[in-house]
Amino acid sequence: MIDAALIPWLIAGVPLLGAAVSPALWAQPHRLIAWSVGACGASLASVAGVGFAGYLAPQPEGLLLLFLLPLAAGVSLLGQPHHQDHRASWVLTLIFLGLGLGALTSQPVVGTLFLIAIHGLVIVLLYRHHTPLWPISWWGLGAYTLGALCLALTLVAAPPLSSMAALLVCAILLPLVPFHDGHLTALTRLPGNLPSFMVLLFPALGLHSLAPLAATLPDTVAWMVGGLALAGTVYGAVKALAQSRVRLLLSYSSLSFFSMLWWCVATARAVTPRAALFVGAMGLVMCGLLLAWQIIRTRYGDDVDPQAISGLASTMPQYAVLLSLLALAAMGLPPFGVFAGFVGLLLSSTAAFSAGIVVLICAWLASSWYILDLVQGLLFGARRADLRYADLLQTELVSLVIIVLTLLALGVAPITLFGPDRTPASISSTPTSTHPGSVAWNK
Amino acid sequence: MEQINPSIDIESRRMELRGVVQLAGEVIAQYWPMRTFVHHNPLHSLEYLPFEETARRGKQFMGGHSYLPGALYREYLKSGRMQTAHLDAVLKPLVQNQSVTIGSRQIAHGDVLRSCLTEGLCAPVTEPLDDQLYDPEKETLDAVAAGLAAGWTFPDLRKRIDLIVEGDQAALGRWLTLSHWCDDTLGTQIVRQINDQLIKWCEAFLDEGHAAWAMPERERGLYSSWKALAAQEWSPCGIADSRRKIAQLPDYPEDALLQSLDALGIPSPLRQDYLSLQLTALPGWAGFIKWRAEERDYPWQQAYPVGLVKFLAIRVWYAHELVQKACRDELGIEGRYDAIVAYMRERPDEYYLRRQRVAGRLPALYAEEVDRLRHHKGTGWSRVIERYAADVVPRQEIAARRGAAKRLSALARSLELDPALLASAPPATLTQLFNWMEAFPEADHGPVWLKALEAAYQQRLLGQLRTPAAQRTASANPPGTSRPYSQSVYCIDVRSEPFRRHLESTGPHETYGFAGFFAAFIRYRAWGKEHDTEQFPVIMRAKNEVREIPRSYFDHKVSKHEARTKWVQAGHTLLHDLKENVVTPYVMVESLGWFYGLPIFGKTLLPALYHRWTSWLRHLFVPTIATTLTVDKMAPAETAEMLATEHHAVIRKVLHEQAGLRSSRIAPALVEALRQQALNGQGDLDPALIESAQPAGLSAEALPPLIDILRRQYDLTARSTSRHKERITRMGFTVEEQALTVDTALRMMGLTHNLARLILFCAHGSTSENNPYESALDCGACGGNEGKPNARVLAMMANNPLVRKRLAKNKLAIPPDTHFLAGQMDTTTDDVQLFDLEDVPPTHRADLARLLEDLNEASALTSLERCARFPDVQEPLDEQAAKAHVRQRSVDWSQVRPEWGLSGNTAFVIGRRELTKGLDLDGRVFLQSYDARQDPSGRLLEVLLTGPQVVAQWINMEHYFSAVDNDVYGSGSKIYHNVVGRIGIMSGPWSDLRLGLARQTVMNGDVPYHEPMRLLSIVEAPRARIDKLIERHEVLRHFYHNEWVHLIALDPEDLAWYRYRSTGVWTPLE
Repeated sequence: MIDAALIPWLIAGVPLLGAAVSPALWAQPHRLIAWSVGACGASLASVAGVGFAGYLAPQPEGLLLLFLLPLAAGVSLLGQPHHQDHRASWVLTLIFLGLGLGALTSQPVVGTLFLIAIHGLVIVLLYRHHTPLWPISWWGLGAYTLGALCLALTLVAAPPLSSMAALLVCAILLPLVPFHDGHLTALTRLPGNLPSFMVLLFPALGLHSLAPLAATLPDTVAWMVGGLALAGTVYGAVKALAQSRVRLLLSYSSLSFFSMLWWCVATARAVTPRAALFVGAMGLVMCGLLLAWQIIRTRYGDDVDPQAISGLASTMPQYAVLLSLLALAAMGLPPFGVFAGFVGLLLSSTAAFSAGIVVLICAWLASSWYILDLVQGLLFGARRADLRYADLLQTELVSLVIIVLTLLALGVAPITLFGPDRTPASISSTPTSTHPGSVAWNK
Repeated sequence: MEQINPSIDIESRRMELRGVVQLAGEVIAQYWPMRTFVHHNPLHSLEYLPFEETARRGKQFMGGHSYLPGALYREYLKSGRMQTAHLDAVLKPLVQNQSVTIGSRQIAHGDVLRSCLTEGLCAPVTEPLDDQLYDPEKETLDAVAAGLAAGWTFPDLRKRIDLIVEGDQAALGRWLTLSHWCDDTLGTQIVRQINDQLIKWCEAFLDEGHAAWAMPERERGLYSSWKALAAQEWSPCGIADSRRKIAQLPDYPEDALLQSLDALGIPSPLRQDYLSLQLTALPGWAGFIKWRAEERDYPWQQAYPVGLVKFLAIRVWYAHELVQKACRDELGIEGRYDAIVAYMRERPDEYYLRRQRVAGRLPALYAEEVDRLRHHKGTGWSRVIERYAADVVPRQEIAARRGAAKRLSALARSLELDPALLASAPPATLTQLFNWMEAFPEADHGPVWLKALEAAYQQRLLGQLRTPAAQRTASANPPGTSRPYSQSVYCIDVRSEPFRRHLESTGPHETYGFAGFFAAFIRYRAWGKEHDTEQFPVIMRAKNEVREIPRSYFDHKVSKHEARTKWVQAGHTLLHDLKENVVTPYVMVESLGWFYGLPIFGKTLLPALYHRWTSWLRHLFVPTIATTLTVDKMAPAETAEMLATEHHAVIRKVLHEQAGLRSSRIAPALVEALRQQALNGQGDLDPALIESAQPAGLSAEALPPLIDILRRQYDLTARSTSRHKERITRMGFTVEEQALTVDTALRMMGLTHNLARLILFCAHGSTSENNPYESALDCGACGGNEGKPNARVLAMMANNPLVRKRLAKNKLAIPPDTHFLAGQMDTTTDDVQLFDLEDVPPTHRADLARLLEDLNEASALTSLERCARFPDVQEPLDEQAAKAHVRQRSVDWSQVRPEWGLSGNTAFVIGRRELTKGLDLDGRVFLQSYDARQDPSGRLLEVLLTGPQVVAQWINMEHYFSAVDNDVYGSGSKIYHNVVGRIGIMSGPWSDLRLGLARQTVMNGDVPYHEPMRLLSIVEAPRARIDKLIERHEVLRHFYHNEWVHLIALDPEDLAWYRYRSTGVWTPLE
């Protein structure tokens, strides 16, 4: 029998070990990326082994995100060009994966330390990749610094200060207006494949941190969070509509969708496996779209303007099909996971029909507009004679196919597969003491 | 100083403007309505320029390509349609006597040029700044790029900006409208907005009975009706205060156009080009307006006048308003030519960044920075350009060198050199190679490819024509050796060639080629129709009219037939109105919707059976009645009598309805007196009229109102009668006219001796379902109509004994046992139908039966040949299956290629049939029969070169341009076609009127089915005679000197072949 306390270290250790070995392969990018993907596979296997063996402590949000993180890390690596400039990001992916899995499976204090490490790494990376042409990245840096400070505060301060700090951390990781700049900056400024992994990692960590807090939110705070969530939903959708850069568009789009989740959590005061399904599916679909965009950048340069690319439907048919499927998933159409997660959230929500739901539906419809607009612009229109077109490489194809199939599986698999399907009401009625990591707002 | 009269000044300005607009309209071709689709060159008005220059103009104004993409020409090369030798021959004048050495290999300039063509090395490629795709040749490429660095300098950013500014300044007004400039610089959508508005107004105004609700006030003309209605609109295109602005526009479109041009500040020298650009923004609608404006007798034009000035007055008003708004809002400058030029000159950095941003050529971060500066009206443009120069330009330089290295590496591979050798080559050699490639860009390849492709085809065709008679599939014995079974004359159309070949293979039948209107210039009205069709080439005019009337022995059935036809028409009208009405469709779908299920299933699942069934039903209800044509002209007395009878009937009707008189009380004298009074009397009543009215009980006071009704309601006036009379006198031909027509036709055909017992004039038409461009499949020489009336007219004339007498006097003896038949070939089913068989003498029944049998066999063989060309027919068919297949295609409403016969046309042979007899010309050659020995004066040849050849060239060019750039010069995919206004088609619900031919007509998938080549005319005639004609006719000089048509002559005097060069010199062919 394995000691339960060792389980998080075991799960976190596999990718970290992979990262530790990677310097030996530094001079051979092809081998390095293969090794990194292998480490992600091993990580997924370790999570699956430990999870199915019943060694993992039950989480309110279920175990789905634990499985999705190594998967997302692996596909984000697969979709990368084998270029030496990206070696650091491959190793960092493993480190972030290790730290993230550690944060998700560890006890509160250790988990907080893992989170602090993640914040610290992100701050360093964002600082290194700061550009004067993108001054907003200072705000992103500030957000993560605030997050790190808040995490430290949760370790040393007493409630309600620690609770407030914990909620702020959640709002930075699972983006909530006005603390969303970190999310935007991470998705636009981090190098290589990191944005496509981070778009799932951070929200997953945020949701995990929010789970113990949700049931204890005072009415005023819940009302404020609900209001901010609705504002964020609209703000994200409107900003996404106005974007011309793909990564920013996807950042704002994900902000809008994650804000919907915030609203549902604030009204239900609970984080259920359905919420995890939504975060997992949304994170994965954004990961897929970012990868799809990365495939374009691989061919036409990092800084390519999406306006310059068109007519891919005839020239890159495999890419066109997979991008279309991802777009359908991102728009929340069945049978993909985003649809299942969103509808599950709404159906299990305790909130009656309200203005909030109308806002959510409107933002959802808006997403159909900007996502279709983006896809239409890339796939259709005039074929440029001066561009070289090369359809998907095998690794790119595999990465996108895995994402599409996973989204499909998330859409059709029963929710009980990822954790006990409890209604928010039943979770709320459960004493908070059952959650070892819960934090009281008022003693 | 003498005072200038302002009104004269304004009028002279208007006149000057009209002239400028006319010249500006040269770049667009007329657009004929689709019911008489006329194949024509979309750049017809520019034929006075050399082909290559016109191609450049087409690119400049329409944005169209005049050559196929290089990749398709390379496919032709790979498939053997042309050989490298053809390319080398065309490249010869471009090759320099220079070479470089790489390793031990010497590479000549010509080798590089050939590789550029065959490998597509000079296609413009945008090299990404940070390409991350794995490239196994990376090391070699890096080495070559490093080698290039020494001798090759990347242009400085400042110089590039200056070049762009200078180029755009020069282009503004000439190649670039101010609206386009705004769209390219500010990211606006002004051109689209204006087009949308113009499409809306043109679609409504030019409608010819398609719309359920017609646009009001159309009788005032396009400009005035737009002015009246647009002034009611609320802020079109976001133009502020538009109602007041439109209301204040001048009444005359010329004044409005001048006002807008002045407001835009377009300098006078640029106005013609500027207006050309405005017209080519919507060449379809503008082309149709141009055509209508030139057809002053066109009924719709008379009712609702339209012209290019009116069109431009509206268009340029929108342009001025939107450009002004965009320039003020975005740049803070006036939307004028001079202000924009000053902006480019004074703020080049900002201009450069804005343009690059809109074109999507800025890195994303810079794009965002530019957006920020635009929105906040920032002033940091110089700062951004400095950072751009420091950050992006070096990366651009690296990317450009890498791109150059890739091209050199591809060149090395195409020359079977190891690319690694390039890495060790001296920089000067690499630079030299690269410069050679740069000096021969892909844009210059089109003419070379085209000439090579044409040379290859011409070589094949001339090889065939030189095939000795003994090696041909049918004997090429000269006619006259024995009397043939029949002689038949077909249209020169390329679709006749296979049929003629197959008919000749069935027995001793002689065939001839002649323009399908058979020299009968007629305006024709079919029985039961209300409109005339013009049965002659659109470049000509007719003065004779012919009507189809029932044969006299069917008189007793006519009224029944007419009544039933009216019932059918009423039914159609009712269904149409029920469908188009605002309310009734809701009820109709519920009650009658199921009824439409039958045609839908029938047409979709069993089209042939459904067609047979409905045809049977139609004939059961409205039986066919044999008809004849009014070929003979009426005598003046007969005309007067006919008119008087018509008038009398009208007057009797009025007397009955208005005065309540019974027929028994209406005396002929009264009727005639009333007629005379209505026709001639302007003042007091004629006493004879008063006197004849008294017995009928009509007082003198009752008569004037009756006369007024006759004049006003029934148009019983002297002028109307005169018009009617003139019309009747145009009906038919006098015997002299008939003799002249037959004489001309037979001589031009070469049918002057050894005439057979049966001579068939075989016109052609087509049958297809759900095909808006059905008339495009009909006879171009008959104005896009079926040629049946012309064939019948000529046969009736030639059978007229009086005409034969006259011909005999002209030394054209037609044997008494020769009978002329009229027929028509359906080019979709290959069936030949003969007409007026009632007139065939009983003595000719056996001949007729034999001819019909052979025609059927030829028809089956032709169908078999055609089926082999259809891409959807995978398996070889037998004759019966082929017949059934082509019949099914013709009635299949989902069939996008019911015929596919005209595509592929490439050459035009004017000569004796002996030249082409027994040769399989693949249905690609127009065949015009001509015997130079019968035409010593060259008069007939003159007609052929200036008539049929022009028609053939129009058909050829229509296909050429539709194939090379179907999006611009063609009409795109049939899948999206929508009929608009009964005049043409649009793509989808909102587009320009689509020009040219559909994609499915000229393309087979992504590969052209019609191999686009310029027409090759092969004339069997003495060169001196041709020279004289070229000298006499400008159109011929344009064709041959400007290389629109290739000319080759077979000189009967020395039996040698000669090519006519664009310099006007004949060179013998090897």
